[in-house]
Amino acid sequence: MSQRKIVHVDMDAFYASVEQRDDPTLRGRPVVVAWRGSRSVVCAASYEARKFGVRSAMPAVRAERLCPEAVFVPPDFVRYRAVSNAVRAIMLQHTELVEPLSLDEAYLDVTENKTGLPTATRVASSIRTQIREELKLTASAGIAPNKFLAKIASDWRKPDGQFVIQPADIDTFLPPLPVGRLPGVGKVMEEKLKEMGVATVGDLRELTAVALEQRFGRYGVRLHNLSLGIDHSEVKPDRPTQSISAEDTFAEDVLITALEPTIRSMAEKTWKATRKTSRIGRTVVLKLKTSDFRSLTRSHTPASPPSSCEVLTEIALSLIDRVDEDPQQRYRLVGVGLSNFSEAEEVQAKLFE
Amino acid sequence: MKLQVGRNELLSALQAVIGVVERRQTLPVLSNFLLETKDDELIVTGTDLEIELESRARVQNIAPGRITVPARKLFDICRGLPEGAEIQLESTADKATLKSGRSRYSLACLKADEYPAMGQVADGRSLTLKHGQLKAIFERTQFAMAQQDVRYYLNGMLLEITANRVRTVATDGHRLAMSEVTLETGFKEATQIIVPRKAIIELLRVLEAGDEEVTLKIAAGQLQADLDVVRLTTKLIDGRFPDYERVIPESGDKRLQANRELVKRALGRTAILSNEKFRGVRLQLENSKLVLQTHNPEHEEAEEDLEVNYDGGALEIGFNVNYLLDALGALTSEEFVMELKNADSSGLVYALDDPSSKYVVMPMRL
Repeated sequence: MSQRKIVHVDMDAFYASVEQRDDPTLRGRPVVVAWRGSRSVVCAASYEARKFGVRSAMPAVRAERLCPEAVFVPPDFVRYRAVSNAVRAIMLQHTELVEPLSLDEAYLDVTENKTGLPTATRVASSIRTQIREELKLTASAGIAPNKFLAKIASDWRKPDGQFVIQPADIDTFLPPLPVGRLPGVGKVMEEKLKEMGVATVGDLRELTAVALEQRFGRYGVRLHNLSLGIDHSEVKPDRPTQSISAEDTFAEDVLITALEPTIRSMAEKTWKATRKTSRIGRTVVLKLKTSDFRSLTRSHTPASPPSSCEVLTEIALSLIDRVDEDPQQRYRLVGVGLSNFSEAEEVQAKLFE
Repeated sequence: MKLQVGRNELLSALQAVIGVVERRQTLPVLSNFLLETKDDELIVTGTDLEIELESRARVQNIAPGRITVPARKLFDICRGLPEGAEIQLESTADKATLKSGRSRYSLACLKADEYPAMGQVADGRSLTLKHGQLKAIFERTQFAMAQQDVRYYLNGMLLEITANRVRTVATDGHRLAMSEVTLETGFKEATQIIVPRKAIIELLRVLEAGDEEVTLKIAAGQLQADLDVVRLTTKLIDGRFPDYERVIPESGDKRLQANRELVKRALGRTAILSNEKFRGVRLQLENSKLVLQTHNPEHEEAEEDLEVNYDGGALEIGFNVNYLLDALGALTSEEFVMELKNADSSGLVYALDDPSSKYVVMPMRL
């Protein structure tokens, strides 16, 4: 498996931050989002409230005792969902492979990204900047070669920070961590591991995969892999793909006759990305941006959806002929995309035709 | 009319015919059976104007006559009577009375003269074969018949008779099933007829597996099948069946051979997590390995790894899993062969060492 680039984006104190954003009187004050009632638990706590020891999932009564001056706000999930969708929309500008875990966190696979940013770190900071500027909220991000490391990393510089775990860092980063940081290791598992003399990930590495499997079955194998920083689980986008595209901005604006190599590589990139979804795109789109920043698109929908990278490339190249600009016109950007995706992914061929 | 008959004897005669009687009728008399006596037999006839079924029961104490009675009611009453009961049936002008032990039923009759019987098929060519032979070639192809397709000629089965074989072909346009039996037919010219779907289903209900003889008589737009105690007469579908031989692929260079039951079971399991609407299954072949994969919109996934006989190079192809299951279910051999060419061409399935049944399945883009 080639090296993946995974980003875990976690909104900071999400519900509480949305409340503070929307009600200026709450800013700077400890805010606790929770229903009223004796059995209610804390949905979210602002960082001001956290200083008093208030945490999510803690009984609201206890939070009140810890922080009597906190403002209690009932949750408004309709509003949080709307904000969450706006965050998702920002992420989708960078990659189609967004897997939301909840309203306030998501995994992104940015191995192939749509904006052409060179590193996952740049993608993550670009997303966080957009969230700050467009939504007036802060997010933290973790960047790593897999989901579980990305999630640990996003916690590392919280709030409003990001942290990268490079493949080469894994062996210095992981061993000192308490085993409780590994996904699936809760109180009970932690206790069991403690009995085996395992407190840190480093301790866990001392045990063989076989020993762990004998003790914990399949999860033992997973534990062993996690201790080594191995996690092959994929980012599974939940939203049906609407379009997939790749574009590139030239170092210097070029003539239309010089577009072919880039169209070929963008088509290949787009095709690779389509392999990750079960849906099928029917319309091929060629996008150009002129040196004077005009956007042009040309599209074609063949009778049957493009079935290979070659077909996609061929159609994309043929769309150049439909650009009737001045031959001296220069272009700063070219993109190739597939759109018009549909769930009718399974097309039954016919015998008589 | 008057007669006495054993409940079991009568029930099996009614059972053979009831399938053709539609529950909803355009003509009232079509929901009735025609009952008539002939020598020491009762002849039961049911029809839907396209297909007529006739069965016989041995009866006693006959006063000859000809009546029609409500089919489903008579059938249900008869079925509800205890096994081995004796039944007396007697009719007046507009009533039929059924008595058995302490039970009495009076049924309304319609005039027998109004019954639209098709009768004997006059001078046609005929062909005699064994029950088991006809049953086999029907069973191995019937599932591929179309249902209520606008291409009406696909809503049936092609019966092709040549000098030395009888062949059945059925297709719904996505897959095709073909099966044949070798025998001297006495037909000099190749003859093709399209038998309606319902007639095939009805015939399958009454065909036995054994060596008893069936006589098929073909005449102007009709087919009559004589099965000793049951006779079926059907109108034929007037249309041109597609040139099926054209779509049976030439030997594909990629040949898979595997245990039929093993693959069938694996397909059956993976089918559980296929898309309910499209039923796609992905087959990945490479170096004696077959991987089956399905997934559905709920993001559930199935994968099966199988050892098979294959050295045709890497190939990935999608199929409707039901079509493969139908084909493998219709075969009886231990091993089967599947020939493939590429991801866009049809697959050909048949039994190892027995090419008498063939299945062509078009792929599916997954």
